[in-house]
Amino acid sequence: MPILQHLCQLLYDSSFGTMLRESNNAFSVIESIHVLSITLVFGTIAILDLRMLGLILRPIAVTRVARSVFPLTWTGFAISFITGFLLFWAESAKMYPNSAFRTKLILLALVGLNPLIFHTTVYRRVHKWEALHLAPWRARAAAIASITLWSGVIIAGRAIAYF
Amino acid sequence: MLACVVTLAAAPAYAHHSFAAEFDITKPVRLVGKVTRIEWSNPHTYFYIDVADASGKVANWAIEGASPGALSRRSWEKDDLKIGQTVVVEGYRAKNGSNTANGRRVTLPDGRALYGGSPGDGGPGDNGTDQGDLPGTPIAK
Repeated sequence: MPILQHLCQLLYDSSFGTMLRESNNAFSVIESIHVLSITLVFGTIAILDLRMLGLILRPIAVTRVARSVFPLTWTGFAISFITGFLLFWAESAKMYPNSAFRTKLILLALVGLNPLIFHTTVYRRVHKWEALHLAPWRARAAAIASITLWSGVIIAGRAIAYF
Repeated sequence: MLACVVTLAAAPAYAHHSFAAEFDITKPVRLVGKVTRIEWSNPHTYFYIDVADASGKVANWAIEGASPGALSRRSWEKDDLKIGQTVVVEGYRAKNGSNTANGRRVTLPDGRALYGGSPGDGGPGDNGTDQGDLPGTPIAK
């Protein structure tokens, strides 16, 4: 048995994982919090992406928009990560072979790579372009990548139920 | 890696979904068998029964049901079904032809017949309420 599958089975068989999996209400409550926190992540990150694409809030500097949304984005991400891990804990042995779940993890890795590249390249010179109504093409590309990848994460997450 | 992908494609549908996503309404099935395994799990419960056909050949069937919470609201609790007990299941076969069925009417060892479908899954008996309309026929005593 591959080591990752073995770890998934250990989580699945743990008493906490079993408690969540067999619960009458906890599982569905965690699911709801997971979905709500994802709306917070996607909604706030989309505000920044749409601003860089020149579609909303054009008179406001990109850095101001970024500073306003980031605390909410990170809060949403922390909650969705924790609740997502709990849901995974409850179903880990069944998630291991799930192709939609694997796709979601790959997309999450890519969606994390995107801001890493963005912040170490074009965003380092943000003070030169923060007031522009339309951000430079590299920033627009990052914005489109962000919206596309986060959409993919949500679609793959929903598809877990159908694989 | 390729073997891994092939295994993925063959993995059974286990997670949360509507009735029509996995089951075929044109393939009703009635099964009587002994319980071999119980997964009292979210978002769907499963139990497995050994069913003998006319020639005596035994096949193991997976029976999918609603979540633990939904079954509990119908007074079906985890301990109501135990390994080795005999149950009667009226339901619908999986579209993929495997020995999997969605149990719509399950007659428990204590004689109670209960609705097994998920609330709002759009399958037979789903009437929008927690309880559902109990489909199938009562067992003649």
